Amino acid sequence: MHISMRSTLAVTAVCALAGFVGACGGDDEEGGGETQSSAQAKTCGPDGQYLIGMSQANNAEPYRERMNDDIEAAASNVPQFEVEFADAAQDNAKQVSDVENFLTQQIDLLIISPNEAAPLTAVVKKAYDQKIPVLVLDRKVEGDAYTGFIGGDNVQIGEKAGEYVANTLLPDGGNVVELRGLPGATPAKERADGFRAGIAGNPEVKITADAAGDWLREKGQQQFEAMLQANDDIDVVYAHNDPMAEGAYLAAKAAGREQEMKFIGIDALPIPSGGIKAVEEGRLSATFTYPTNGKEAIDAAKKILIDCGEVEKEQILSTQEITPENAAKVYADANAS
Amino acid sequence: MIPQTEGADPPTAPTPPARRLPQGRREWLEFVFRFQSLFGLLAVFIAAIVFSPARNGELLFLTTENLANIVRSVSEIGIIAVGMTFVILIGGIDLSVGALVGLAASGVAVLLMERDYGVVPAVALVLLIGTAFGAVQGLISTRLAIQSFIVTLAGLQFARGLARIWSDGEGVPLAYGDGPGRAPDSFSVLNERLLGGLLPVPALIFVCVGAVAIFVLRRTTFSRHIYAIGGNERAARLSGVPVGRVKVAVFAISGFLAALAGIIHAGQLNQGSPNDGAGYELDAIAAVVIGGTSLMGGRGSVAGTLAGALLLGILNNILALNNVDANVQLLIKALVIVAAAALLTLRSTDE
Repeated sequence: MHISMRSTLAVTAVCALAGFVGACGGDDEEGGGETQSSAQAKTCGPDGQYLIGMSQANNAEPYRERMNDDIEAAASNVPQFEVEFADAAQDNAKQVSDVENFLTQQIDLLIISPNEAAPLTAVVKKAYDQKIPVLVLDRKVEGDAYTGFIGGDNVQIGEKAGEYVANTLLPDGGNVVELRGLPGATPAKERADGFRAGIAGNPEVKITADAAGDWLREKGQQQFEAMLQANDDIDVVYAHNDPMAEGAYLAAKAAGREQEMKFIGIDALPIPSGGIKAVEEGRLSATFTYPTNGKEAIDAAKKILIDCGEVEKEQILSTQEITPENAAKVYADANAS
Repeated sequence: MIPQTEGADPPTAPTPPARRLPQGRREWLEFVFRFQSLFGLLAVFIAAIVFSPARNGELLFLTTENLANIVRSVSEIGIIAVGMTFVILIGGIDLSVGALVGLAASGVAVLLMERDYGVVPAVALVLLIGTAFGAVQGLISTRLAIQSFIVTLAGLQFARGLARIWSDGEGVPLAYGDGPGRAPDSFSVLNERLLGGLLPVPALIFVCVGAVAIFVLRRTTFSRHIYAIGGNERAARLSGVPVGRVKVAVFAISGFLAALAGIIHAGQLNQGSPNDGAGYELDAIAAVVIGGTSLMGGRGSVAGTLAGALLLGILNNILALNNVDANVQLLIKALVIVAAAALLTLRSTDE
């Protein structure tokens, strides 16, 4: 068999590649920075410059956009921090690649809000095993191979929502329809479980249908259109986040049925298109604040990288119920600061 | 010299003249076009080195870990793209592969986690389903004379629906261990790297699939038939090529490889979800086009597709390492695809 030109070219390319790898590849030396190290970081101290990688699940969700903004704002007050953002656009495989690329860039700390728990666990563990501190925000990974988790108590939020429905909206009972978040993301399961616990006190309140809206307004609208067709008697729509609740409201409005039912969401972002305004304007009956944890994440990063300290494994932030009684005030307060 | 081509001519081409270097501008241009995908790959590789950020005195792009990451990240799309090459070579298209990835990923997860299948039976069954799905699409396309675009578009919806039914609409996370409700440990090998972290298992599978496909497309009667059908289906049929059988086989291959990619997807991500693989068909087609295969059929090669897939992987990587804005990344990738396609058009008008 004669040696073809293409094979020669291929071999040359491979040799060049091997040559480069041999010449340039190699273990990285610990350069720059302090020689101190705490239990949670390889290098730390106030004199270093730190690169932080923030792997976000989906920039297209308003809650996450806000999370990114909060992180960026908090980090801008810390001269030692440089934060790079990556967007996985709800694609687990992309988020794994995003984290791998951060590791290649030799980040000093990883902040991640994983799209779904199981697919991201291995790569987060990889970072953690390389002694890179990992802060997990809002959604969890499996196991405990991370430095600290900062988030809300989704079970409690679900419970509060359930109690609000059982006691305030439907004291005499009624039919509830549920729009769930992305199933593999931990908050979805927790908000569902919590809600069921919350309505348990009122056996007349029944969940007659549920579907996954994947946290997205369009999907929530689409799913709810189908539910409207299938269900004549809906009293309350419980959506795991405000965008899905708004989507359901739009679907109900298009069908002329929005006065028949009440809508509840979660997130309560203090922005013009957010849940608090929606409650103020009467589209939603209630929502629950779900902190973005952006500021808390940077505070934790400061503690680890600059103060050489430690952070708790779990930092759970509290929630506040937003109803027509307090919506205007909460919105004004949130935007005054 | 007419070098052994990437497959533009079937092996029964007229005897080439004596070998010599390309002479003159026209022959050099011809030479570059023939190997456009390899040259493109080299060019992007060099550009990646030039634009690579450096830390602690080394180029981040060239670390073995990073290069291994790149090959791993293109493995699934690459495997699908190999199958897509076969289909595009006969002048068809397979839009169902992304949905088949979802079907295979969620299917294998359900079998391992909820039905307590062993690894070999689960993988075999899912591969069989993928192959059968592809074959059925091929049959419908040939027997009912419906364009593959339409058949596989319907196949996409069908596979997505099947996947959702099979897994109850939810992703199935994989938990490893012994006993019921747990997947056998051996399946987790898909998420490992051999040779001390150098060789990710999906990359190994990708390379093997590519090698086998290159062999099949250069040395078998089957490949002659494929190029003949793609070049001129009527003439091929008249000269005795079993067009129907070849077409069904080609779609079966595409289904098989999509299912394989789906199994790897579940293994790598520890989860099989019915919505996995959305959009993968487009990435696969992009790799095939950049690799120099014409969407009209009859011209192209698997080697080109492999180069195209790697090129896209390197491009993604260097954009990510430089933290280029996600939206700008989309623009750049679109431009690259158009540029590759333009080169292909230039080449065919040049000949």
